[in-house]
Amino acid sequence: MNRLPALIKREFWENKGALRTTPVVIGGLYIVVLLMSIITFQHFDNDFQSLKEAIAYLAQSDVELRNKIIHQSTMIGSFLFSLVLAFVVFFYLLGSLYDDRKDRSILFWKSLPASDTLTLVSKLLTAMVVAPFIFWVIYVITHITIMLISSIVVLALGENPWTLFLGIGNPFKGWSMVLVSYMCQSIWALPLYGWLMLVSAFAPRIPLLFATLPPVVFAVLQIWIEFLQTFTLKNNLFGVIGQWFANSPLIISADDHGKNDFGVALGIPVTSTFDHEVTVANMLDRLFSSQMLIGLVMATVFLAGALWLRHRATES
Amino acid sequence: MNYVIEAQGLTKRYKRTIAVDNIDLRIPEGRIVGLIGPNGAGKTSALKAILGLATYEGQLSVLDKDPAKDRAALMEDVCFIADVAVLPRWIRVWQLIELTQDIHPKFSREKCLEYLASTKITMDHKVKQLSKGMVAQLHLAIVMAIDVKLLVLDEPTLGLDILYRKQFYTSLLNDYFDEQRTIVITTHQVEEVEHILSDLIFIQDGRIALHSSMDEVQERYVELMAAPDHAMAARDLEPLYERELFGRHIFLFENADREQLRALGELHTPNVADLFVATMSRGES
Repeated sequence: MNRLPALIKREFWENKGALRTTPVVIGGLYIVVLLMSIITFQHFDNDFQSLKEAIAYLAQSDVELRNKIIHQSTMIGSFLFSLVLAFVVFFYLLGSLYDDRKDRSILFWKSLPASDTLTLVSKLLTAMVVAPFIFWVIYVITHITIMLISSIVVLALGENPWTLFLGIGNPFKGWSMVLVSYMCQSIWALPLYGWLMLVSAFAPRIPLLFATLPPVVFAVLQIWIEFLQTFTLKNNLFGVIGQWFANSPLIISADDHGKNDFGVALGIPVTSTFDHEVTVANMLDRLFSSQMLIGLVMATVFLAGALWLRHRATES
Repeated sequence: MNYVIEAQGLTKRYKRTIAVDNIDLRIPEGRIVGLIGPNGAGKTSALKAILGLATYEGQLSVLDKDPAKDRAALMEDVCFIADVAVLPRWIRVWQLIELTQDIHPKFSREKCLEYLASTKITMDHKVKQLSKGMVAQLHLAIVMAIDVKLLVLDEPTLGLDILYRKQFYTSLLNDYFDEQRTIVITTHQVEEVEHILSDLIFIQDGRIALHSSMDEVQERYVELMAAPDHAMAARDLEPLYERELFGRHIFLFENADREQLRALGELHTPNVADLFVATMSRGES
């Protein structure tokens, strides 16, 4: 049966702006910025007099260092895509079980022989797999375009782009790291996704408010009570959410971790026991943690609630 | 006889009110049933139970399935239009057709395009660009291209102008209905559907006030238009309902002796709207 693909196609059509146009605009932005910086390079306050000199200098630098920089900048180039993807998925899920209740088209969807469970699965898969994959594809296309433009510029300035950067790095490694981090993040973020779908199925109006207000009120009360009792600020919901976010297997920072070395890291550094280096093992480490287990239990509860509410969405 | 819908003790409670109150109902196949009742009588609640859109108490089986548990499976053989213009507003006509084709095993793309050919709707139209009447046409084209056993129409023409309404029911009757199919319609515009109905169900305060075939209705009920001087005599025969029109008294009788009535004035077959008003006023007293 091709019902699930059809339902996912429906999600894509309904959210074309967010799922397709948005990453295309980000890719365009990267390319425009690249072109602008090439054109205006000579005006920068810089050690080099011209782009030609700069490239000539690079061509003489250490191959290994160049390789590392190319690999890490490949990954860090995904940052804007990752950031916007997070927003897109957030608002997509918030509307996923709300929009058709609001415009009453749920009455049409429920007249088709597709179960509520399948509908829910199609929306969750769109958030977990389809959206990150589209963003990733456009990120890769953007990167290839950037490399093409750079090659042309380098060629025009009399250097060989192959020996300079094309031939020394393996872009597939960086690209697949980004894809793996997106997929790991989708699993890591399941409790949040479940919560958003639950709110989306429940909210009588303004789902954003229903999604954010309860946790904020809860955390503020927690902090207040804790403070009254002990005059300290210990663990509270904000802390838990912050910790959860910091531990996400997303490539979201580029700093040196005290190693005096340019590097790309997973999440925000929080513990000394975890080096945050971008490796598949480190990403999977998060998915096999006890935190993840708690997250999965929460996600299951939230999603079961969303399904229950979806089943009863046409009651009155 | 095959029953499409069988309900026993069907009840729907909301927090404080009982919308459907212990209804027993059997609808055989090949009928066009009008479900008629005042606002808040429980029509929509009953239909929602039948379509698996709401929970209920009591026994209910639609095409031998339990709608609350098997909505998705049931929807392969049941189709419904619940209210006008509930098609998603963002969708384009070709997308709607493609999705229905992918999801519904009994949808015929050719038939749908055939129906659409007679309208001004094009494949590239978005639903939100269409007028309310055109959205209803589109929805009907989709629904009529699905080969199901039961079609439920809940106020399918509300807010449409008379041209669209006439055309809607004409296509339904001419191009869609046959002996194997059953159609259940609720509407406020009784006079527009009465000539296509084969069965009539009046519902009042969550109960069935009348359930009979149109043939039975014509046998059972008669309307007498009495001259003013015969009004007293007619009143003595215990009519169901009396109303006055241009100084003439009109009485509605159930199972009355027609010979006896004929002496008092002209006899007519009552229309559904008058029968409805009479039944409702009897229920209230």
